[in-house]
Formats: sequence, structure tokens, C-alpha cells
Amino acid sequence: MAGSGTPERTVRFVDEFRDAELGRVLAGELLAAADPGRHYKLMEVCGGHTHAIYKYGIDDLLPDNVELVHGPGCPVCVIPMGRVDDGIAIAHEPDVILTCFGDMLRVPGSHGTLLDAKAQGADVRMVYSPLDALRIAREQPERQVVFFAIGFETTAPSTALTLKRARAEGIENFSVVCNHVTIVPPLRALLESPDLRLDGFIGPGHVSTVVGARPFQFIPQQYGKPVVISGFEPLDVLQSALMLLRQLGDGRCEVENQYARVVPYDGNAAALRVMGEVFALRPHFEWRGLGFISQSGLRLSDTYADFDAERRFATPGVRVADPKACQCGEVLKGVIKPWECKVFGTACTPERPIGTCMVSSEGACAAYYNFGRFARRHERAAV
Amino acid sequence: MSAPDLGPPSCHCVTCADEGVPMRVLGFAGGAGLADCAAEDGETTAVDTTLVEPVTAGEQVLVHAGVALVKLDEAGEGPPAQATWPAPAPRSAP
Repeated sequence: MAGSGTPERTVRFVDEFRDAELGRVLAGELLAAADPGRHYKLMEVCGGHTHAIYKYGIDDLLPDNVELVHGPGCPVCVIPMGRVDDGIAIAHEPDVILTCFGDMLRVPGSHGTLLDAKAQGADVRMVYSPLDALRIAREQPERQVVFFAIGFETTAPSTALTLKRARAEGIENFSVVCNHVTIVPPLRALLESPDLRLDGFIGPGHVSTVVGARPFQFIPQQYGKPVVISGFEPLDVLQSALMLLRQLGDGRCEVENQYARVVPYDGNAAALRVMGEVFALRPHFEWRGLGFISQSGLRLSDTYADFDAERRFATPGVRVADPKACQCGEVLKGVIKPWECKVFGTACTPERPIGTCMVSSEGACAAYYNFGRFARRHERAAV
Repeated sequence: MSAPDLGPPSCHCVTCADEGVPMRVLGFAGGAGLADCAAEDGETTAVDTTLVEPVTAGEQVLVHAGVALVKLDEAGEGPPAQATWPAPAPRSAP
């Protein structure tokens, strides 16, 4: 990366959606659209939305009877401890360079984090893309380079394309620990959960660039809840909340696309094709706090099995229970707010996280810790 | 052994979990399926454009984890058409 090459024209699609005047307009419309005799619970599925909501104080612009519930859409937050242990075991193998996204470094396993493993001598490196991991493998053919892959359908195509490149270039010292997950099964699990009452969903924007809007149709059709696929700027989230309130007010129940400037209804067919070629569904995958969910995780397909790090290296493969003090599960299901967890902000902080929701900046607890504490003080004062 | 103190996490999504960065395609010097792209701050990086081909210099793409996921259509761009935005707020609104 370099700082050269400033584009002649500025990049659009950002500033337009942070306009304060339009934000005030939307806040007024939200107030008008909300039925004062009703309490609304809207879940933002994606951690990117959670981050935006706290960073920009979006919840302060919502009517008092509109509550946002933070969903399970942060890939770091749903990684169970046993998978972290598997990554650490591989990192300690001789001649291995283990690569992963930055936040993954700080996710606690049962005996520490990948960062701890690095401190103990393992070669663990942060990358911004699996393509960077492949470059390391290309440059150091004498080493085994492993990419610890996490993420939803947004990120899975990047891993898939990297594996196709590895095959095409004949790079044999590269492999992947596949922890990719899919968004629909946990949503179905949440909708089946008896302790959660939701009125609608702010749907994931960038996952939808890949999968499109179609996979979310089951939510209105089978569960009678509206969905609005949303962008990540403050006005996007506000407008999506307004669209949900209007659906509820009109008695409509459908999938709407607020993020139409980016999300095509059918998603990205090329991305879905490459994912279908490189990945296969696991029968079950464990989600932190949500337990095992059927057909919710991806493994490498038989065609790409030779790049599967779990076949190339011995891993413990042991399920590890979450720390008892940690209530990430309840936070991920939206049953409790981050600050209602017993260790929030005391034993568990972004600097020393116990639970995964405090690790990633997209995690509900970290977002709330970093941006939401003033709002919380305000809420307390209002009670 | 505990983790070294990294300080507060960045506002930037390090995980790349669901982040999409609008970038402009500058050229194609990096090899098959790779384009040099520039973000709003001028930082350039090689991006895999396989999933949005054909793509030409000057176009804008949304990039996640080194891969362009969608082309951004500037013809119909920017905020949604005014007609789809809500009417001005009543004066009594906060």
C-alpha cells in the first residue's frame, strides 16, 4: 500500500449519507411514524450497523419507544473458544506462519489468544486480506502459511478467490482454517428462540451484495417480520428504521432494500459461483453463545481439501465452554444489553476482553463501551 | 501469559468483517484479475476484480478484504432520489 495516486475525482457514497440536516428530517419522520402506544424492538443483524449506531449516536435520534437489539453479525464475536484453540495449536507447529484478520488476534481461547501465542514465539501475522497471506506463501516457499478464515458471505468470496489463485499458481505451502459462516441459519435460530420478541430486522448490507435479498424472504413469509436491507452510514440506518416502522404501521411485511445503490436483488452471481466451487456446508457449526446450528458453517469442498489446514495439521478439535462470567450469548441474542452483563466494563474491557463481543470494534459490547456510555448515563437518568 | 496492551481498539473495523470501502479503479498493472484502486484518502492497493468484471479505469467499486464485490453505479448514484426521501419534518419535531 502507498499513499500515492490520489484519484482525480473524490470517492462518493459516504459524505452524502452523513448529512446532519437530512438526519434531523429523518428523526422527525421516525417520531411521526412510531405509534406512541407501542414498543418496537428492531434487530440490526450486522456488527457493522452496531458500530455505526454507537459511533454516530443513532439510537439517540430514535423515538424512546424504538429499541435497537444487537444481532449476531460480528464474525469475531461468534467464534467459539475451541476454534481459537485449534488456530493456536496450528500456530505452534514448526515452520508455520499463521495469518488472520487483526481482531482475531485478541479473541480468547481456553489458554490465551493468538497474540499470546505470538508472544510465546509462534509466527502469527495480521493481514487485511487472504490475498496478503497468499503473497507471504509465495515469498516464503519453505514455510507453511495458514490463513485462519472468519467471516460471513461478505468475506468468504475473498478466501475462495485466494484458494483458486493458490491452485492456479501451484502454491502448495498455503492452507486455510475455514471458519466461514452463513447468515440465514442463525437468523432462523433467533426467530425460533422463545426468549426473543422482535418486530423487524435491519438486514445486513454487505452480506447482501453477495447473497442478494432473496435469502431473507423467509423472514416475512414464515415468521411475519419485516426486513430492510441497510447501508452503514448514519442516514442509511435511520432511513432503514423508518422503513421498518412504516411497514409495521401499514401492516405490510416484506423485504425492502434501502441499500439499493449497492445491493442488487440477486446478489453477485460470480461470487456465489466461486463459493459453491470452493466451499461445502458443514452439517453443524458451533456459534459462541448460540450453540451448534445446522448447516451454518462452511468447510473446504472435496475439490479443495488439499488446502484444508485442518487436514494438514493436527488440531485439538475440542469444544470448550464459554467462561461462566461471560454473557456474550445473551448479548448476541439480544436478550440483555451489553451493560447488563456482570463483567461489562469491569473485568471485561476492550483492552482485556473476556468475551468476544468486547474484542472486535464491531462487537456490541466494545461498540457500547467505546461510544455508548454517555447514552447509558442518559438512559439511567431518564428511568 | 496475558495479551500485551494494545490500547483502545481502532474505530476502523480491523476485522474486515462486513466493511465495504468504496474505491476507484486506477489501472491494471498488478496481473490477471487485479486492479490498482484508490480509496477516498488516496491510499492505493491492489484489488481482485474477478467478481465484477468487466471493469474499467475510473469506475468505482466496493472493496472488502481485498476483493471488489460490486460496482457502484454513479449514474444513478448518491443519496436515493429525493422522492424516496421523507418529506421535511414538522416544525414540532426534535
